[in-house]
Amino acid sequence: MNPHVSELLAAYHDGELTSNRQHQVEKHLQDCPTCRAELEALEELSSLLKADSIPHQTPPERFAAQVQLRLPRASLSRTRQREGQPPRWILGAPLALIIVWAFLQAALKVTSFLLTADQVLGAALFGSWITTEGLFETIASLLLFNTILLIGTIILWSAWMALWLAWNRNQKESSIEGGVTWITSKS
Amino acid sequence: MNLTSPRGIVEMDDRDLIACAQQGDRQAFTELVCRHQGSMVSLTYRMCGDLRLAEDAAQEAFVRIWQNLNSYKPKYAFRNWLYRIAANAALDSLRRERPTAELDTLSLADPGTTPEQSAEDNQRVAHVRRAIAQLSEPLRVVLILREYQELTYQEIADALDIPIGTVMSRLNTARVQLRHELLVLLEET
Repeated sequence: MNPHVSELLAAYHDGELTSNRQHQVEKHLQDCPTCRAELEALEELSSLLKADSIPHQTPPERFAAQVQLRLPRASLSRTRQREGQPPRWILGAPLALIIVWAFLQAALKVTSFLLTADQVLGAALFGSWITTEGLFETIASLLLFNTILLIGTIILWSAWMALWLAWNRNQKESSIEGGVTWITSKS
Repeated sequence: MNLTSPRGIVEMDDRDLIACAQQGDRQAFTELVCRHQGSMVSLTYRMCGDLRLAEDAAQEAFVRIWQNLNSYKPKYAFRNWLYRIAANAALDSLRRERPTAELDTLSLADPGTTPEQSAEDNQRVAHVRRAIAQLSEPLRVVLILREYQELTYQEIADALDIPIGTVMSRLNTARVQLRHELLVLLEET
């Protein structure tokens, strides 16, 4: 077992020990010249490092003006534009519905084509796995689902447009009330 | 966008200024820049060892802060977040300009010292800067945040997003290496 407290000295020097530990280290330091020397070495190193002062910096106002000149206006505009948009899902949901609707339209066309082909060419071409009754049922359910989707899409689009218009009106009003001006910094 | 009057801005605390800046208020952001310029340049200067490079890195850090203000979470200390971005900007700056960057020639001599003393002091400081510059980047950042910026271990851990044990071990390694490098100077004191 190490009788010294070397592993605690850095934390002691940095003021990072709990009061119990600190007390323990202080007690040990009273009787241990080795640990005292190690602590002194840490303190000397800190003093040496801190002896180096920083040269005179640019005055804060001028520095801040230089920062302002570097701020990307375009990027901020994009941020503002992003902030101005409603959540993406509002736009995404109707789009997803339209994609599903388009897919079903295509499925409907293919099914209709198969039915026509089956009627024209007979079972010889497609075999027994296509039945006219089954296809009619499929077409009917597809048509129904298709209609529901279309109505849903129209409702969602309308809601989205209403939200968008309301938000735009609100933004215009708040920008007038707040007297919004942009600083153009010049050094 | 200015949401507040200049007088109001000076009286606001950082938290309120951040909230205004997050809404696009450039005046509020300018006040934040003025308030934190000193410590930011101090950090980047310790990292770079060159004032021109340090101020450039600090300005770059403030630009990044402006661009990412909306991702700042108030539950973390703003200063730690700034330091993290500043340290990264300083390292990027150093990597970009390392072939040409040189440690600053030293500050003007204290009027009360003789030319011999002044030359000796300059030599010591140059020796210290070289020793710090020779540390690896992870060791240097931790050492600077502790010794110069006087952050606690926990604050350093938060700023660099590393475990507190890593902070302690890096700090210890940095000090051992510095003591080895600066042995001659330490023996003189």
